[in-house]
Amino acid sequence: MTIEKGDIELAGVFKRFGNFTAVDGVNLKVPDGAYCCFLGPSGCGKTTILRMIAGHEDPTEGEILIGGQNVVGMPPVQRRTAMMFQSYALFPHLSVRDNVAFALRVRGQSKQERYRAADSMLERVHITELADRLPGQLSGGQQQRVALARAAITEPKVLLLDEPLSALDEQLRIQMRTELRRMQRDLGITFIHVTHTQLEAISLADIVVVMERGKIKQAAPARDVYAQPKDRYVAEFLGGQNVLSGKVERINGETVLINAPDTEGIVVPLRDGMRPRDGAAVDIAVRRDDIRLRRPAAGAAADGWNAVNTRVLAVEYQGMYVKVILDSGSDREFVAYVPEREFFETAFSIGEIVVATWMAGQSLLLA
Amino acid sequence: MSNSTPHRRIRTLDEPGKPWTFWVLLAVFVAYVLALYGPMFCIYILSFQDLRGGLVFPMKGLSVHWFVDLFTQVRTGDVKGGFQRSIVLAAMVTVLTVVGSFMAGMAFRQRFKGDTVVFYLMIGSLVAPGLVLGIGIGMLFQYFGIEAAWYSSALGAHLSWTLPFGVLVMFAVMARFDRAWEEAARDLGASSWQVIRMVVIPILAPGLVAVALFGFTLSYDEFSRSLQTSGSLNTLPLEIWSMTLNVTSPSLYALGTVTTIASFLIIGLCLGLIAYLQRRRARRVAGA
Amino acid sequence: MTDRNRKTGWFFAAPLVVVLIPFFIATIAVVLIASFLEHDGFGGMIASFTLENYADLLRSDLTWKLYLSMVKFSVLTWIGTLVIGFWVAYFLVFHVRNPLLSIGLFLLGTVPFWTSNIIRMISWIPLLGKEGLINSTLRATGVIDEPLEFLLFSDFAVVVAYVHQLTIFMIVPIFNSMARIDKRTIEAALDAGATRSEIMRWIVVPLSKSGIALGSIFVLSMVMGDFFVVKVMSGGGSASIVSALFEDIAVLQYPPAAANAVVLLIVVVVVISLILRTVDVRKEITR
Repeated sequence: MTIEKGDIELAGVFKRFGNFTAVDGVNLKVPDGAYCCFLGPSGCGKTTILRMIAGHEDPTEGEILIGGQNVVGMPPVQRRTAMMFQSYALFPHLSVRDNVAFALRVRGQSKQERYRAADSMLERVHITELADRLPGQLSGGQQQRVALARAAITEPKVLLLDEPLSALDEQLRIQMRTELRRMQRDLGITFIHVTHTQLEAISLADIVVVMERGKIKQAAPARDVYAQPKDRYVAEFLGGQNVLSGKVERINGETVLINAPDTEGIVVPLRDGMRPRDGAAVDIAVRRDDIRLRRPAAGAAADGWNAVNTRVLAVEYQGMYVKVILDSGSDREFVAYVPEREFFETAFSIGEIVVATWMAGQSLLLA
Repeated sequence: MSNSTPHRRIRTLDEPGKPWTFWVLLAVFVAYVLALYGPMFCIYILSFQDLRGGLVFPMKGLSVHWFVDLFTQVRTGDVKGGFQRSIVLAAMVTVLTVVGSFMAGMAFRQRFKGDTVVFYLMIGSLVAPGLVLGIGIGMLFQYFGIEAAWYSSALGAHLSWTLPFGVLVMFAVMARFDRAWEEAARDLGASSWQVIRMVVIPILAPGLVAVALFGFTLSYDEFSRSLQTSGSLNTLPLEIWSMTLNVTSPSLYALGTVTTIASFLIIGLCLGLIAYLQRRRARRVAGA
Repeated sequence: MTDRNRKTGWFFAAPLVVVLIPFFIATIAVVLIASFLEHDGFGGMIASFTLENYADLLRSDLTWKLYLSMVKFSVLTWIGTLVIGFWVAYFLVFHVRNPLLSIGLFLLGTVPFWTSNIIRMISWIPLLGKEGLINSTLRATGVIDEPLEFLLFSDFAVVVAYVHQLTIFMIVPIFNSMARIDKRTIEAALDAGATRSEIMRWIVVPLSKSGIALGSIFVLSMVMGDFFVVKVMSGGGSASIVSALFEDIAVLQYPPAAANAVVLLIVVVVVISLILRTVDVRKEITR
């Protein structure tokens, strides 16, 4: 039986190295043809998962299914996966053409045959003119294209990319990001991409899988993990959110009333399946661009708005918006992104006492 | 940015002008090279004296008398035979050393049960006094009733030294080898053997050449380990040794000149072959 | 995974092990056994057990004298090869900018290695001899009246020959470990205001440690196991342990020679282990 589709399922996957548990009971489904990003700090187990899908590592426990078939123990080629390594791992002694044709040479194809296939692959990634160069003579971006072509020539159903953009400089990274997405659409296969950069993940992926210490924290479409983080870890790792801590005062139907150390009566909507006890410590998240700043003199906040008295600590101009760093009363960050024009209408100064407000419905209870 | 910050002088390695240490060390290097080559050039020159020649300067006459003497006189021993045997022995040692060192280098990349024992045995074999090992091997062969010969006992004696040496060179070479290359090849469907043949060996080739050169010279020059193990027929260093004891004419120097030329020819031939293979590969890459 | 590792590990190590078992382990065992046997004085060995060979050896003044001179030559040669080897390697790695030139000069330093050791040793005779180049030059220029006797067939000549032969074994590993020092580390240290000697002490020397250790292992084991340099270059004035041991072999007295060899082997192993303790050679060169 051969694998025809690139949907992936991880079922109860564990990976232990001696006493260290790198992957701690992971369950995940990735549909065929999806662009999926594993996001997390280094050492969170994301690369280990990638290597297990590729067949360079066997899970200690659990099943890995590709196209509905358990592939544990199968060699990489039979899995119909191909991997693009972090530093590309291009063979330094082979020309670009020979690098790309390597998989076909291994299968015993004649030189003519495999060079024809390699050349058409090189054309697809627009590096035909580099065919006779050695990898050492290529720039980072060119090397990436060669690596992509070399992996794609096996006609995989799943392409696995280990930090593919980390070796590139900022400008090239953004350019290659677009390119990767285009390639994925062209090839129509599943991409699994490992990264530690949030922006990379949310700009590319259909599904973002946020990981911490071997566990999946949240697996959801990019907009969901960014705008609806499940817990504090995801909210803080993705950025763009302020995380506040407080205690539950009481639950009022659809909303919770929370008291923070120096602010009382913050109203937050209840989230599906969450029902904290009275008096329990909870975290809430508020998007930085949802925060409105006003001077205390401007009167009390309107109904349905939360308000926190605070002080401006610093102001950073960012072009499209202004980053206003506020006093959170703790060492946690509390930031408002104020649209550029709006900021300069009021122009808060450093040290000024301000009121940070946001619509109650826009704040989020975290697990 | 204010301009008032005082300019701190930033020194870098690419500072124009050489520091004084450069000149001192250049002098050290030149002195070293002179001391390395000087004496040898003396004997090369002195080997071209004529019949009146002695062991020291000044040079007496100019001829190839002592070279003729070297190959015709009985008292100078069997130089030609020793030379042939040494070349064949060194060639065998080279091949076995390259194969064995390469494999051991692959083995030591990962931990395996007993690896530390093998490693320290190897170091032991490397540092053990050559003559002691030679004597032991001689006794061992005697005990089992096998006749010691340059192609058996001496071969083993040489390997007990060139192989550990080669493995250490291999370690240094493999430190620069990225295992991702192997994984990439396996990912692309290569079998274990294909990975070794198409990726590992070609990438490590320069290092393997270095191992080969070491193996060849260490064996070709080896004296202590051959002394008790080469049986009834001498290798070249043994011939040279007996000449240093018996011959006090510039014949000795002529032998030095001849062996030097021979080793240069061999090394040159090897390097030439490598250059040729590389050029061919480059041409294949360029003109496909 | 680990199981697979073990199997491939032993498979790849097999050729090395196949050589080490007869030509090192069994060989040392034979020497060890022989050292406890009695001999009949005619090349035969009698199956017995005696410590007499060791007792004779350790009672002999000659043994202690030989070891003393071995220590002397080892230390002098080690210092000589280390100083020259370190600075030559340093020059090639850090002062020669052009990598091709650096490799070229490196090879220039290794070329003589391709010729016979014995020839290289005797090549000092026309230079250092009583009527050699150095003495005749000095006499011709009037610096000295009488030839300097200490130049040849002396301890000085022995050390010169050792250093000449063995410095290369110091240069290669030190060059290798220095070449792997990231030049940016040094630039960073320079930017931080470190002086030349501080850089040397904090960066270059610590990072060349494995090379120095490896070079020292080569040099010391070769000096301690030397057979002919002391014999020839001292002009018969002194001998090495191995050449003394060979005297016994020459008259077919194997057991005393074997006892001598075992003691020497122990000394060598102790010295090398001390060096290995300072640095994990395997880890350092593999990484």
